Amino acid sequence: MDRTPSRRLLRAGRAATRLAALLGAAALAAGAADAPLGPGAAGPAGAEPAAAAWNALAHDIYRQLVGINTTDSAGSVTAAAEALAQRFRAAGFAAADVRVLGPQARKKNLVVRLHGSGAHRPLLLIGHLDVVEARREDWSTDPFTLVEKDGYFYGRGALDMKSGDAVMATALLRMQREGFRPSRDLILALTADEEGGCCNGVEWLLKNHRELIDAEFVLNHDGLVGYSISAEHGVPQEFALSAAEKMYADYQLTVTNRGGHSSLPRPDNAIYQLAQDLLKVAHYAFPFELNEVTRAYFTRMAAQRGGQSGADMRAVAATPADPAAIARLSREPDLNSLMRTTCVATRLDGGHANNALPQRAQAVVNCRILPGHSKEEVRQQLIGVLADPGIIVRYVADDGTVSERAPEQRALPPSPLSPELLEPLERTVAAIWPGLAVVPFMNSSATDGIYTRAAGLPTYGVAGIAVDRDDMRAHGRDERVRVAAFYQDNEFYYRYLQALSAH
Amino acid sequence: MRVRAARAAAAALLLAGAPCPAATPAAAAATDSSNALAHQLLEQLVEINTTDSPRGNVTSAAEAMAERLRAGGFAAADMQLLGPSERKKNLVVRLRGSGTRPPVLLIGHLDVVEARREDWSTDPFRLIERDGFFYGRGTLDMKGPDAIMVASLIRLKRAGFTPARDIILALTADEEGGAANGVQWLLEHHRQLIDAQFVLSGDDYSVLTENGKPLFFELIASEKVYADYQLLVTNKGGHSSEPLPDNAIYTLTRGLDRLAAYEFPFELNAVTREYYRRLADIESGQRAADMRAILGTPPAPAAVERLSRNSVDHSITRTTCVATRLEAGHANNALPQRAAAVVNCRILPGHSPEEVRALLVRVLADRAIAVRYLASDGSLHEAAPQERGFAPPPLLPEVIGPLDQLVGETWPGLKVIPSMSAGASDATHTSAAGLPTYTFAPLTVDPNDDREHGRDERIGVASFYQANEFFYRYLRLITAH
Repeated sequence: MDRTPSRRLLRAGRAATRLAALLGAAALAAGAADAPLGPGAAGPAGAEPAAAAWNALAHDIYRQLVGINTTDSAGSVTAAAEALAQRFRAAGFAAADVRVLGPQARKKNLVVRLHGSGAHRPLLLIGHLDVVEARREDWSTDPFTLVEKDGYFYGRGALDMKSGDAVMATALLRMQREGFRPSRDLILALTADEEGGCCNGVEWLLKNHRELIDAEFVLNHDGLVGYSISAEHGVPQEFALSAAEKMYADYQLTVTNRGGHSSLPRPDNAIYQLAQDLLKVAHYAFPFELNEVTRAYFTRMAAQRGGQSGADMRAVAATPADPAAIARLSREPDLNSLMRTTCVATRLDGGHANNALPQRAQAVVNCRILPGHSKEEVRQQLIGVLADPGIIVRYVADDGTVSERAPEQRALPPSPLSPELLEPLERTVAAIWPGLAVVPFMNSSATDGIYTRAAGLPTYGVAGIAVDRDDMRAHGRDERVRVAAFYQDNEFYYRYLQALSAH
Repeated sequence: MRVRAARAAAAALLLAGAPCPAATPAAAAATDSSNALAHQLLEQLVEINTTDSPRGNVTSAAEAMAERLRAGGFAAADMQLLGPSERKKNLVVRLRGSGTRPPVLLIGHLDVVEARREDWSTDPFRLIERDGFFYGRGTLDMKGPDAIMVASLIRLKRAGFTPARDIILALTADEEGGAANGVQWLLEHHRQLIDAQFVLSGDDYSVLTENGKPLFFELIASEKVYADYQLLVTNKGGHSSEPLPDNAIYTLTRGLDRLAAYEFPFELNAVTREYYRRLADIESGQRAADMRAILGTPPAPAAVERLSRNSVDHSITRTTCVATRLEAGHANNALPQRAAAVVNCRILPGHSPEEVRALLVRVLADRAIAVRYLASDGSLHEAAPQERGFAPPPLLPEVIGPLDQLVGETWPGLKVIPSMSAGASDATHTSAAGLPTYTFAPLTVDPNDDREHGRDERIGVASFYQANEFFYRYLRLITAH
């Protein structure tokens, strides 16, 4: 699976958003600075002044989760799941609605259900509790202690994604406390092994307890690696709603040769042959292709951007698309990856001794496949691009097994951009970040959404955390989130869930 | 390795007595018994993994040979097992002579290059006899010659033969690479154990054939200089879902593409000139004409071009550099932060590793590719050594004379041709220590089927036994008086 985050979204934003965003952030941060208040101190349902108390609760959960090591190596996801289960039970959730379950002692998942009126089918919220490894010596602070410093929260999982877990849990606890009865059941699944490991929780739940998490659609807080809002110097630029995912596929390219003694080089050489072939991959661009989501993305972003690139976005969204505009936008790696399948060499391995001609040279080529296309189709395309009968192109599965052919499985189509989902989102975003554009988006990197999509559940990546596009530290050292951004997400998620289940 | 030297068979035949043809029944029995022993030794050696990898252990092979020599009558006092690390011990054994003449040192390395089961048709660490060949890693390079040297010493011992000079055999570690080159280590720490008038190495086959017919007998008297370089490209990397134009792997492969297209200048020296002069008399047709034409001033370009299509001639007439290893990337889903290649060069005498490094920098023509010298212990250096390759040693009559005689007896009409090796070996170290060093293993190999370091490495069964007999007789000849 694809765990390293990356999302460099869009360029120019609108200065108009700046003031409102800063004011909103300041107000929420000020609220958070108040003395911690338990949920019992909350005001009447829906009352704005309650925000501070719920921020305090979210902060408390956040701190607790970061303090529990949930790495695959030494941590326990179960410990985190149990800690949260305790809070839900204490808040009055029935034991039957708070389940901790999984295939292994350290890898248990939490599934919580807030019952609604049943007017609509349930909504499933997913988030993962596990985090990637972090070594104390690499960090400025203890990665397993939530540290607030200079306006940021620091800690492993601060962004990916214990902040999101805390925010979603807080939203459900708040609704329960306020006596809010949603029009649909709200299910929260906080799971194991999204970052890798034996026991992916979402996959396991779908396979073994589908009834516990079946839903009309899914919100994945991790759908955009933990944040929907791309910011510059703390100023939000746009709010992305992820409604499509590219499919991940690795291929192994192998050239073999009879080898020999390196004192007698020959024109035929496995390494040189592979090098020449890889340059063909480097020069090849897969065909331009948009889908419902990426077309909407370019259409909406065109207005955001203006200038030549805005015009180019309009021109690529048009039918037929303008080739010159495609060529210009393709120079930007993030936009390029939205317009086509991409394949890039990521690893090389060749030879067995410094003094022997290589008998084998191999490369791994990593592809991100557009919806509608299959892994085998891309394998065949690679073979065509390489145009070398001497190179073998094999498929590498996630578990490392290599096979002659790739699965025929096609990348799943985008989830529909339905008004029931978009309209409340736009309303909620407008209330918290006036003027911020909501932009449909396609992920190039894989998340747990691949499992829910594959199970037929429309899945959307939404997270109200703003992250500076040049300060992405998920999986890195000193991972952090702005204090104000965390509290904004806390308010946003609560309101958006309410809006989605109001009637 | 096939690079002929000057100074050919013209050397005086020093030989007088001491012929020992295996004509009598007793001699035939001794030959059979020695062949059986050589076969056992070869099998034992091949089946001990002596690669540099953690699975390999040279000490095990050295101990196994020591055990055999003890059983063959060698005194413990004449055998030393020593080296700088547990897995890299060398064996030094001495067959004491009358002391009439200074000792001769035989060297053979016990280590082999890596071999992967999946690349081979048979298990590379099993000796398999099939279709007239012995298959296995090291059969040719050089457990075959090692087995022959050990078998010859035991046979001499059993025959009660007292040589006119001590015969020292050193079976050593890390000739193929690794941190503990045995010859170098012995020269540095126990020079007295292995000091000799001259050195014989068995690290290359000598009888070159074409379509099964022997062409000539090669005696290597000079070597190219071996040098490894690391090519390194670093990059900030990134997520592979958004490929960037600037990619460490592509930068490296573009550089390798330029290197593949580069040809070092054609250059002959005294050794290789003599080699072609002699070989032209053996070869025929266009090839012989081309050999003569490249000796002209200036060399005929068309002849150089034609001759260079043969990888052996190509390597004799120029420095060569070739990419032998690749490594890049750290995760399938991350853009590579690092891409590295090893380029192995064989440098003509008269040129230095640093000179070649500077040339590689020019050929790669990309400042993003750092070119460092990779020493045999694996350490990296911004600059390479400035030393140039050694001039060939004089051809000693006591070496070439018996060889001429025995080659003539074994392969009537076959010429001994001194040459220069393009495959640097331990002879580099003994030459540097001032010991004239000559390399030959009387094995018959078709150069078009040279599988040294490659997959399905093999030697002919008949050739192995012939070489075993040849070497025994040669040792007797050079130590007769």
